[in-house]
Amino acid sequence: MTSMASPFSTNPLQADLSLEEARATPASLDAFLAQTERRAFRMAEMHLGHREDALDAVQDAMLRLVKHYRDKPAAEWAPLFWGILRRRIVDLQRRRKVRSIVVGWLGGGRDDDGDEMPAWDPADTGPGPLDRLQDAQSYADMAVAVKKLPQRQREAFMLRVLEGLDVAETAQAMGCSEGSVKTHLSRAMHHLRDHLEEWR
Amino acid sequence: MNAPKKDPELQYLEQRARALYLKAGAQLDAHTAGRLRAARREALQAAQAKEHAHPVRMLLPAGAFAVLALAVTMLWLPQQHGAPITSASSTSAASPEADSYLPPDAESADPKLYQNLDFYGWLASNDGQSSGTTTSQ
Repeated sequence: MTSMASPFSTNPLQADLSLEEARATPASLDAFLAQTERRAFRMAEMHLGHREDALDAVQDAMLRLVKHYRDKPAAEWAPLFWGILRRRIVDLQRRRKVRSIVVGWLGGGRDDDGDEMPAWDPADTGPGPLDRLQDAQSYADMAVAVKKLPQRQREAFMLRVLEGLDVAETAQAMGCSEGSVKTHLSRAMHHLRDHLEEWR
Repeated sequence: MNAPKKDPELQYLEQRARALYLKAGAQLDAHTAGRLRAARREALQAAQAKEHAHPVRMLLPAGAFAVLALAVTMLWLPQQHGAPITSASSTSAASPEADSYLPPDAESADPKLYQNLDFYGWLASNDGQSSGTTTSQ
């Protein structure tokens, strides 16, 4: 068996414990959103690669959850919220695709070297997401590798592995069967293992 | 039955990815964290405002229904009050002998009846007296 260095400076089970704490049944919707919003932003950011779009997606998901599902039992909030956020992310990706096509028709969207450039996106002047992150490089590597995954594999990986939803909750959030979740996740993990060789 | 043993390499990958993700969420810059907090408050306040607006919104259709009910009642009641009058008049018109002293409708009565009211009065009193004398005789 290959010996592997622990990714954590302290307890190797720290991540799982933190996730358990983060996913403890919240006392109120406010508490649930407070303990979820930052991770939701990170997830949206990893999908969209754009801070403002990620903030919009999270804000919209929070609004929809509060508006339509605040009377649901607290245990159901997590899969509902992640499902709403997933759909919002997909909407934004589609909108961006349409926008890039329109810009292409209008002859824009390319710089002097012929590379694609954002046409109408405002400049992202806020502090970078990785500025304060100690493991910035590792996180950046993971974000790049995750971004390369097909959409459904990326969703399965993020919800099941990063967010720690169980298979049933992941299936509910993704709107597919539990078998599909397992298949997508298995493929995602093998892709990531190939792309994150330096983690070994 | 034992669950299939997970590939340790994949298990390590999962743990590390999750740790980085949680750390990235926890170490979010203050600016973004503030905006997320504001977005959360906004979402919760919007829901509360909607709850408070709910009774007001319920009052609108209730008020409209009350106005409609009042209008229907106002249209219906005169008809209900008018109906007995019409039926009474028709009854009295059907049997004029029932009360020959009062014509059912002044306008439809013979105008000559009203021309010599004093005479009819004298005649009635005289008639009573003469009938009294006749009985006494």
